[in-house]
Amino acid sequence: MTTSQLVSSPKSGENVWLWLVKIITGPLLVILLGIHLVVNHFIGTRGLLTYADVVAYFKNPIIPVMEITLLATVVTHSLIGLRGIILDLKPSRTVLTVINWILAIIGIVSVSYGIWLALVIASKGA
Amino acid sequence: METQRNRPSPSKFWSWFFPVGRQTGGWAYVLNRVTALGLTFYLYLHLIILSKLAQGPSAYDDFLAFIHNPVYTFGELLVVAAAFLHGFNGIRIVLTTFGVSVTRQKQLFYGLMFIAIIIILIFGIRMFTA
Amino acid sequence: MSETKWNIILKIYRQKENEAPHYSEYKMEVDPDEYVLDAVERVWAFMDRSLCFRHACHHSTCGACGMRVNGVEKLTCITYIRDVTQDGATLKVEPLRNFPVISDLAVDMGSLYCRMDSVGARPVLPVTEAEIENPSNKWNPEDAKYIRLSDCIECGLCISACPSAATSSGYLGPAVLAGAQANGLKHDPALLELVDSEDGVWRCHSAFECTAVCPSFVDPARRIMNLRTQIVSERLSRLFRRKS
Repeated sequence: MTTSQLVSSPKSGENVWLWLVKIITGPLLVILLGIHLVVNHFIGTRGLLTYADVVAYFKNPIIPVMEITLLATVVTHSLIGLRGIILDLKPSRTVLTVINWILAIIGIVSVSYGIWLALVIASKGA
Repeated sequence: METQRNRPSPSKFWSWFFPVGRQTGGWAYVLNRVTALGLTFYLYLHLIILSKLAQGPSAYDDFLAFIHNPVYTFGELLVVAAAFLHGFNGIRIVLTTFGVSVTRQKQLFYGLMFIAIIIILIFGIRMFTA
Repeated sequence: MSETKWNIILKIYRQKENEAPHYSEYKMEVDPDEYVLDAVERVWAFMDRSLCFRHACHHSTCGACGMRVNGVEKLTCITYIRDVTQDGATLKVEPLRNFPVISDLAVDMGSLYCRMDSVGARPVLPVTEAEIENPSNKWNPEDAKYIRLSDCIECGLCISACPSAATSSGYLGPAVLAGAQANGLKHDPALLELVDSEDGVWRCHSAFECTAVCPSFVDPARRIMNLRTQIVSERLSRLFRRKS
């Protein structure tokens, strides 16, 4: 057994920046998701916001901005987190490249879809 | 070779969820990982279901009526519980990472979990009485 | 030593090369104030000469006798039988996890030693750099000529207890990252690429199992967290240095 077999490959799949994004989005999510859960469970008349409640809630322009921020943050945190769990399994470079693309596409598609949905709802109340 | 079975291997991923013989931090790790995977699954399910909002008032409100029963409410409570447990456990990770309370992470964990459980109870009471 | 005698069953993990693992049970009389290693040694001395295990100093300095006692990593030379079992009970002794088994309770820790070397972990260090809680007197700079053994005895308990080390063969592991931290990024900038990687500090998910089982005063989890802070500040300062 030589040392070179035991230490990291030259091209590493994880670094300080990805981790910093995860650790900064975390506390931000505690706040944003906290608000999201309180609004949905404590303002709605039957426990959850009805369609009319949602449209009324989105009339305030801050709300779509806040909800889109929440979505972008939670998607980023979840995908970096999921990638971290996958890295615990020591995937090969090829597998990791494929996973990176899949996760990036999931991220872009879900955030774009969320922005579209928030704009649709905001336009209903206008 | 038989003696190789004690080596690290991706096939041992089950040990992430197997806290027997582990100590406080190990249980926190299991909790963090289980809620992480559960919340990730729910996040994308939630986004798909929200497309009902784009289909108009009746589609969305019919769906709300459909899930207004104790079984789904309990499922929702599990999601809320997972969110608060993961979030408060995350606070432990952030604080200890930056050196705060790093030698007292057990006490920090118990304290944060106590707060999380109280919040979950408040949500539970509200969700089952609304 | 007390006059008390306990009858216990010592259930030991057995595995020779190309053999499936199994457990052997040994009924024996022990003094509860003996150490677990004493009982294992007695099995070898009087009951089964084929039992293989590692031991040397018997006073928690060499780090050879790490085993899993009832599922928890222990340095068996300082683990009282009284603390891990009771009269009439079974005491299970297994090899450390995450290292290949050589024979029975002896595992190949070569990977740990090579990695300790790769991060420049120092077996001895100047007393002025030692992290001793509440030192009775403060060190003067000239005291740096005096050296002491570093806290880490390279027993491997932390690697065995770590959930990340169970699935990733590449993960450097708690002891190694603690060694890198003690060395310091300021002192050895070449360490940065090694520890700021998928096999370095980011594989740690804050289970703190390493610190829970460490028989010395290394507190690997605290050192990993400190190493992260070192990496963040080093990367940020490099980023701004490049821009200015």
